[in-house]
Amino acid sequence: MSEKQKFKWHSWATPWILVFPTLIGLVIFRLIPIVSSFFLSFTKWNLITDPKFIGLKNFKELFSDPVFWKILGNTLKITAGYVTGGMIFGLLLALLVNNKLRGMNFFRAAIYMPVITSSVAVGIVWTRILGPKYGILDFFLKKIGITAPYWLQDPSLAIWTVTFVQVWKMSGYYMILFLAGLQAISKEVIEASVVDGATPTQRLFRVTIPMLAPTTFFVLTVAIMDAFKNFELIYAMTMGGPQNATNTLVYSVYLNAFSYNRVGYAESIAWVLMVVVGLLTVGNFFIKKYWAQPLE
Amino acid sequence: MKKLLTLTLVCLLAFSAFAQGASEAKTGEVTLEWWTWDTGMIEQNQSIIKEYEATHPGVKINNTVIATDGGAYKTQLSVLAQQKALPDVFMLSSGDLEEWASTGLCRNLDDLVASDPEIYKKFYESMFTSLKDVAKTDYLPGFPFAYVSCDMFYNKDAFDAAGLAYPNENWTWDDFLKAAKALTIDKNGDGEIDQWGYYGYGRYAEAQAWIFANGGVLTNDKTHKFEPNQNALDAIQFMSDLVNVYKVAPSPKDMSAIKYKTIFPNQICAMFVDGGWFADDFRKTIGDKFQWGVTRVPVGPHGAPKTTYGWPDSYVISPFTKHAKEAWEFTKYIAGEGIGLDQFMAGKMPAYKALVESDAFVDMTQQPYGDMQLFRDHASDTFVTSYTQGWSEWVGYGAAESMGLNGAVDSILNGETTIAQVLPSLKESIDKILARYY
Repeated sequence: MSEKQKFKWHSWATPWILVFPTLIGLVIFRLIPIVSSFFLSFTKWNLITDPKFIGLKNFKELFSDPVFWKILGNTLKITAGYVTGGMIFGLLLALLVNNKLRGMNFFRAAIYMPVITSSVAVGIVWTRILGPKYGILDFFLKKIGITAPYWLQDPSLAIWTVTFVQVWKMSGYYMILFLAGLQAISKEVIEASVVDGATPTQRLFRVTIPMLAPTTFFVLTVAIMDAFKNFELIYAMTMGGPQNATNTLVYSVYLNAFSYNRVGYAESIAWVLMVVVGLLTVGNFFIKKYWAQPLE
Repeated sequence: MKKLLTLTLVCLLAFSAFAQGASEAKTGEVTLEWWTWDTGMIEQNQSIIKEYEATHPGVKINNTVIATDGGAYKTQLSVLAQQKALPDVFMLSSGDLEEWASTGLCRNLDDLVASDPEIYKKFYESMFTSLKDVAKTDYLPGFPFAYVSCDMFYNKDAFDAAGLAYPNENWTWDDFLKAAKALTIDKNGDGEIDQWGYYGYGRYAEAQAWIFANGGVLTNDKTHKFEPNQNALDAIQFMSDLVNVYKVAPSPKDMSAIKYKTIFPNQICAMFVDGGWFADDFRKTIGDKFQWGVTRVPVGPHGAPKTTYGWPDSYVISPFTKHAKEAWEFTKYIAGEGIGLDQFMAGKMPAYKALVESDAFVDMTQQPYGDMQLFRDHASDTFVTSYTQGWSEWVGYGAAESMGLNGAVDSILNGETTIAQVLPSLKESIDKILARYY
């Protein structure tokens, strides 16, 4: 059978027909909302009336509002804490469970469990654990004579507490990613380093971690994106409080769009968020170019 | 090809738009769209519809129920409002009434009320007046079906154990404070309070109940600025003193591990101020665990008796409806004769007099027994509210509850700041919000 006969059903339109359903979804659910949100960021719109074009007023208000800068700072703090914590714990857990011991699958599943648990449920449970009075942690700390701080009520602590809970919830996911990376490392290389007399610490820092670079880059990218999607935990644990201490760009978009009916203003915050995420992504690819290349 | 596609699309849209009208014209039937937010009432709504359709041939009702969670109800309703395709009859939160009325999204019901001389014989006129006050209109923009008041719940067993007389509507803040002190008890002597005299969680239904009970005012209706009078500030100071000076109430942050609505049922506090709808909640959560009652919020030194913080729950008729008369008849039915007491949470006062005046309203078979009379008495009260446009934002409501006035009250009750310290920045931020609307 000639090549021509084999593909006689194939015309120039075939790929377009195959890709059409995806394309429709992409245009309706992604492209149109993105373009609309861009235009809406220059409008005043309360949902019940027609949007009114107001030029750059939303952005002017945003950048002159001290609360916005606080929220932006919170978002960056959470991102830094979450990405660092998530990657460190994810890697440590992956190293721990990367052993062929009996019952290891149970521990892997147990560590992964919070990832698939509802964020709202996680938030509620941790709020009960961390409560200053009647909280479980407070109960045990009192037994050993320690007075617990106000984990979620102290403005200087709340943001790190929420970050910690998010790291706790998601570390299992990064563990799985790192585990896949660890299991892809050639055994010969590890064995060669053992033969060469490398200590376990040297093996970890000079062989395993460098060879994990592509995985680490992938985890970094995913973790940064996850860090910006921390809406549910904040909603369940602090509602952005106390005094905006845990309010983030995503939470602020939600508040302005659905609580305050300021859709245009919410869109302007969303676009700032997009620029921040975009800059970090560009930074990531810069890192990839010079660092996260697989070892030859 | 392009023209053909466009033409097809236009035809499809036109067809779907006229399909319902054509069907109505053909059958002579009127179909009313009825939107509600109470997802627990789906079955009851269907039985209301069945009875209504049986007695009103030619009228069909479609009920859409969307939960208010995450703003779903309001968002979908808003989108329809923008497209001028609102349902014929829909529930609307009192907090949105002024903005919707000022945008022309609530049908003026004055002509329909005028054509119905029996209306105020069947329904409480005070609720209609209150609805106009909330909407700040000189016409009736909706039809109230219930009234929500804020009241004080108390643990009768705790009062009995302390040898105290139960609170009554003549109570002053001094009476309240004396009782709160006597009810704050370290039962096991471990240095920790096991039963607080009072618990206040600082949200609007509690904080503003105290403010209005002292003749407080929060915003100036003429200047549209946040201008709390001294009475309002005194009320907030009194709430703060309960926590930080008299130590008869825990701070909100100390109670954050417990859901606020479970604090009174778990007997962690003996008195609790919130919406009257908690009567329904407490019937379910407390059962016969202890005896409890409900009374008015104690009147402050500058407050007027029988002045109650509350708001109407109402239906609005769409200004775009083609069936205003049918919608009016149906609204009267679902606010009045078509519903029973089982369709109301205990503690909410129906607008329909026959229901409130029925023996079943003060249900002597379950708690709070005779105290349910309070909700009847509210019918003759002076109602006050703080609703303005942008209310959710400046008060700090729902997902914004840690912000705005609520956030500031939290900080004051937690002893982190004082009224004098927080007031200038609070005023500046609230005035900025109000300036966007007025």
